[in-house]
Amino acid sequence: MHPVLKHLIETDFADLNGTHVEGQIALSDDIINMGLHEVLSQLRQPAVPKDTAPAPPPAANTSESMPDPRVLLSKLKVEHLKYRTEVGKTVLEIKAGV
Amino acid sequence: MPMPSSPSLNALLRNPSAALADTDLKITLPLTRALLNEVLAARPAGTPIRELYIDPEAGNRFRVHLSANAPVIGTVSRQLMLVPGPAVSFPDQPWLSFDIVSGLKFLDKPLINLVQGQIESRLPKGVDVSSSYVRIHVPALMTHLGYQQLVPLINKLQVTSEANRLILSLHLNAQ
Repeated sequence: MHPVLKHLIETDFADLNGTHVEGQIALSDDIINMGLHEVLSQLRQPAVPKDTAPAPPPAANTSESMPDPRVLLSKLKVEHLKYRTEVGKTVLEIKAGV
Repeated sequence: MPMPSSPSLNALLRNPSAALADTDLKITLPLTRALLNEVLAARPAGTPIRELYIDPEAGNRFRVHLSANAPVIGTVSRQLMLVPGPAVSFPDQPWLSFDIVSGLKFLDKPLINLVQGQIESRLPKGVDVSSSYVRIHVPALMTHLGYQQLVPLINKLQVTSEANRLILSLHLNAQ
C-alpha cells in the first residue's frame, strides 16, 4: 500500500477535513450510453467455471487491506445533491464537504 | 497518456470538453503538513536530497526545509521561505509559481544547481527553479503526463498557505 494512503487510513482520514466540492458535473449522453453498454458487457461475461481453484483468502496483514468506503462516507456532509437531465446530457448538482 | 481499461472513461479522457460540457466544479482541498510530508517522504530514494519537508504558516507563506549533499561543499541545509504566486488560469496565466523570499545565500549556487539537476533528470519539462522562484508550467507538465486534453478545463488553480496546511483551490469548467 502506498505510504500516503496508509497514512490517511491510520489517521482516520483526518487530513481531508476541510475538503469542499461545489458545482455541477455534466456527462454527455454519449458517455452515459457507452457506460451502460460497458456495464451490460461486464454482466454478460461468463461465470467462473466450477472446477476453478477457489480464490486465495484475504491477506492476513490488515494494514495492507483497502479502507472501508463507509468510513470516508460517514465523514461526508452533503448539503445539496440533485440529479436532472437536459437535452443531450445528465447533470448532477452537488455541494458537499468533509 | 496512461489509458484506463474502461472504454467510457477512455472516451471521456480523449475528449473531456465534449464529454463533460457544462461541468462547472469548484474543489477546495486542504493539504495538511502531515500529509504533505508523507508525500515528500515517499519520494524516490538514492538522491542527493537527504531531507525535504514543508511547514505551512499563516499569512500565505510556507517554509521548506532542505538538506542536500552538494558537490565540493558537502552537506548543505537551508530553510527557505516561499510565497505562493497568482492563480493559474488557462490560457492566460500558465505558471504555478512560488517566490523564494528568504533562505538562500549568494554562495548557494551549487545547491541551486544541484536541485535544478535533480529536477531536470527526474521531473518532466515545465518545472523551473532559480535562486528567487520555483515555478511549474502547468500545461507543459500535464501535456508531458499525457493529460493535455484536460488543460482547457482549468479555469483556476491556486495554492495558498495557512497555519499547518496548504490549500489547493481548483475550478474546473468545461464549455
